[in-house]
Amino acid sequence: MANTTLTRSIPRSDSGQAIRQPRKKLSAGKIAAVVVAAVLAVLWLVPFAWATVTAFKSEADASASKVSWFPPSGFTFDAFVNVFQAGNIPLWTWNSLYTSAAITLITLVISAFIAYALSRIEFKGKKVLMIAIIASIIVPPPVLMIPLFYQMLAFKMIDTPWAIILPQVIHPAMVFVLKRFFDQIPHELEEAAVMDGASRLRIFMQIILPLSRPILAAVAIFVFIGAWNNFLWPFISTNDDSLLTLPVGLQTIKSAYGVQYAQNMASALLAALPLIVVFLFFQRQIIKGISTTGLAGT
Amino acid sequence: MSSSTVSRQTRQARTTPAPGLKPGPSLRTSRNNVSGWAFAAPFLVFFLVFLVWPILYGFYMSLTGKSLTGANDALIGFANYSEAFADAGMWRSLGNTVYFTVISTVPLVVVALVMAALLNIGLPAQWLWRLSYFAPFLLASTVVSLFFVWMYNPQLGLINDFLSKFGIPKVGWLNDPNVAMWSIVIATLWWTVGFNFLLYLAAMQNIPVQHYEAASLDGAGAWRQFFSITLPQLTPTTVMIVLLQILASLKVFDQIYQMTSGGPGGSTRPVVQYIFETGFTGYRLGYSAAISYIFFGLIVVVSALQFVITRRRSA
Amino acid sequence: MKQFESLTGKNLSRRQLLAGSALLGGGLLATSLTGCGGSAGAAAVPTINFWHLLSGGDGTKMQAMIANANNGNPGFKVHPTVLAWGAPYYTKLAMASAGGRPPEVAIMHASRVPGYAPGGLIEPWDLKLLAENGITPENFAPRIWEKSQQDGKVFSLALDSHPFIMFYNTDIAGKAGLLESNGQLGEVSTPAEFKAMALEMQKVTKSHGLSFGYLNLGSQMWRLFYTLYKQHGAEIVLTPGQPMQADRDAAVESLEFMATLFDDTIAAKGNDINTGIAEFVRGDSGMLFSGGWELPTMKKAKLPVDALTIPTLYGTPASYADSHSFVLPRQLAVDEEKRKDAYKFVSDILKGSLSWAEAGHIPAYQPVVQSQAYKELTPQVHYANAADIISYDPDAWFSGSGSDWQNYFAEYIQNVLLGRSKAADGWDGFVARTNDLLSRPNPV
Repeated sequence: MANTTLTRSIPRSDSGQAIRQPRKKLSAGKIAAVVVAAVLAVLWLVPFAWATVTAFKSEADASASKVSWFPPSGFTFDAFVNVFQAGNIPLWTWNSLYTSAAITLITLVISAFIAYALSRIEFKGKKVLMIAIIASIIVPPPVLMIPLFYQMLAFKMIDTPWAIILPQVIHPAMVFVLKRFFDQIPHELEEAAVMDGASRLRIFMQIILPLSRPILAAVAIFVFIGAWNNFLWPFISTNDDSLLTLPVGLQTIKSAYGVQYAQNMASALLAALPLIVVFLFFQRQIIKGISTTGLAGT
Repeated sequence: MSSSTVSRQTRQARTTPAPGLKPGPSLRTSRNNVSGWAFAAPFLVFFLVFLVWPILYGFYMSLTGKSLTGANDALIGFANYSEAFADAGMWRSLGNTVYFTVISTVPLVVVALVMAALLNIGLPAQWLWRLSYFAPFLLASTVVSLFFVWMYNPQLGLINDFLSKFGIPKVGWLNDPNVAMWSIVIATLWWTVGFNFLLYLAAMQNIPVQHYEAASLDGAGAWRQFFSITLPQLTPTTVMIVLLQILASLKVFDQIYQMTSGGPGGSTRPVVQYIFETGFTGYRLGYSAAISYIFFGLIVVVSALQFVITRRRSA
Repeated sequence: MKQFESLTGKNLSRRQLLAGSALLGGGLLATSLTGCGGSAGAAAVPTINFWHLLSGGDGTKMQAMIANANNGNPGFKVHPTVLAWGAPYYTKLAMASAGGRPPEVAIMHASRVPGYAPGGLIEPWDLKLLAENGITPENFAPRIWEKSQQDGKVFSLALDSHPFIMFYNTDIAGKAGLLESNGQLGEVSTPAEFKAMALEMQKVTKSHGLSFGYLNLGSQMWRLFYTLYKQHGAEIVLTPGQPMQADRDAAVESLEFMATLFDDTIAAKGNDINTGIAEFVRGDSGMLFSGGWELPTMKKAKLPVDALTIPTLYGTPASYADSHSFVLPRQLAVDEEKRKDAYKFVSDILKGSLSWAEAGHIPAYQPVVQSQAYKELTPQVHYANAADIISYDPDAWFSGSGSDWQNYFAEYIQNVLLGRSKAADGWDGFVARTNDLLSRPNPV
């Protein structure tokens, strides 16, 4: 079955196939590879490490002109406590969470429905529709920011959660990712249901969707990460600090007490934490998701 | 999973429709028309309201003097376009965007390839490497900018402190017009290379093992195998990654706006920021819509190129 | 057939229900969160959202003043939001006003009002309601009151005027023998005298006589330039559709003088603003050109510091300044109760602006300035005369504090100050750039 190979090939190959490759005799080369990989990994971890060390410093140590990994007055939770007391980070995290969840949910529902129609139903105007959706993949979101803002003004939606959510649910590329997957599901499975006189909707809900869980998860991951991290549109569509998402809030809202490096890093880490934790738990699924949907374009 | 296998399967599926669902009598067809559009409807509503309409309306706006304050709605024809083509600020920001795209795409592809190749050799603890290379991609642009502004800090920053140990004088990473764009590229590389790396890794692991076995029987070393098997097999992936990367880089805004706000002296201001500033800081929505469409034109050209190349490849 | 349809109908509605309820839940939570403005524990009292762009020394003072106002008014709670100074703040304020759900009240530089009032992004103050709260036109100095109006309506209510002044280190000035019998710096009235004075201080510090950081900061270059330019008695007039009117000789002379200061003896060749301040605070220079708002930094460092308006070097006393003013952003639907609260809040802040003076600003509310308590504030009283000689930016939709226009100034003038291009060329470039702006459609 096509769909099982699609979904299983990645996790199986990333540990199995690689090791089977005959490189054993070049152990010197392999050591060099480990060294290079390790140097890269260290370089890639340094910003995290430095941010973490800074966040656990006192404000005085953080802004001391002598750079230190082990601050003279020891590590402290002060920066995190202050950030929490200011109260914005938990609120923005919640804003990011529910807007991203809503975007993901709506995207999944509307994209799966139309993808099914494009994959299985022969209807008048389907070709034109397909071409229109394919063409829309190339529209870069920044081009829309001016007219969308103006439209949101007309809808009186600026500074409401709707302004963040509604324009972010159109992912033409994801429609095609889903359509391709539906295309691979053998038609035989549906025939029995058709014989029973089941409606399209029932076939879609009871046969196609359950078989499509992996791809739905992949699309959901892709869309959620995108929405969680999106900056430009939420930045344009909201100004009220109680509505801001994490990325926008961190950028826009400043402290009345001047620049505070330890608190900056503490906020940044708190903002980074949710997705990193999710990644640690669902690493395999996320990597699979990105690998399946990534090349479809954004 | 590479895209080519997926699309090949797609084509097969399309040529052999299931017998039970074949379009039959006219009743069937009209029912199909209804259900087809019904399934498409929810998406279509959003598609029309939040994509098609803004595209059309944005073009209309570009022909007006619309302002954020609501003043001056008059149609002024293509005056905004002729003004834009003579606008040194637009050309400069467009130049910055292209410059960023050129100098960011190469490292973003090459480093991703190197990372994937290193992992593909079969290092132990695969998840650890993947985590460290890919984790930054999960961060919001703002977090990345906060990290790097802090590390680039001329007086208190980690990087200048490290360099000073080798007697290298302080660098104004984000303050020096000659350096700032490169600093942005370094931060961007750190942030997004993990995405390309994953795509490469997936593609490499789809290369059949037999290719390597045959080559190693012929006595080909690791280097030869990489250049004679891995790289050629990866060509379709590379083409796609390069094209996607170019399109992504052309849209750059977040990290530049956050780290330098286009400075120093406008040396890093990308065209998207110019659109933002013209429209929102300078109120001139109509004019900035016109610049948006000029920028859109550039994107269409690049996308058309992508389309032609991928078509030629699959043909 | 029918039974299947009803079955599927149920399916659909369940899914819709799920999606709908998730959305609804999110929406409800969001609106409830908006209701309490994101601040903890504000139960029934209305929240007055207040935007400002003050951080650092004066931001701390502002937080304290807001806390005071909140304590004195149990009927409402002011929730402050701080945005980054300059373009980010003004862009977001305009976008929020256009969107119709802006903060109830916001701080705006008086010089920016011409870019907001004509387009209807801010609403005029009601003089009657102000009078009910004890605020009348007589409470403000004439120059400041005049600046608060556009087309006869009062759009901005000044909290202060904050001039660009000269701090000096009294220890260093004393050692250089430059102090008068009253303990203040002696008067100088020509460029040559000023340089001589700076060189005397340099002999004491062995480093520089004067500190002024400006790199990549148009507003900073503009503040000094405009002070010197206005001391020529010259004007700049910006009329859309017409070329900029300015006195080229005065401008070039001012720029040339500025460029000669950065010779690495009188002042460092090229510093950014923070490096300049740090140098002065360290005692490596005797004088600092800076906004009065840096006073808290000096006090914190326990520096022996006094201040004056920038010496009149070209005949006419003048001092670049701006005013932090309160404005009422345009609302989609005005909540009359909240607006009343906003009036009360603003009048309380004005009346309590003595503590604002501690941040180095000159209060605009005259009863405070005339109070004995203010007269005892040093060095504030030593530059309080600035209120009578202040020069706001020339009026235009694109001018003012933190505007793009100041950035354009930097693009042409930085190289003049660094000695890389001629003053006349830099000025002509800036004039051409300004004329280009003036020739474009006016969006306000």
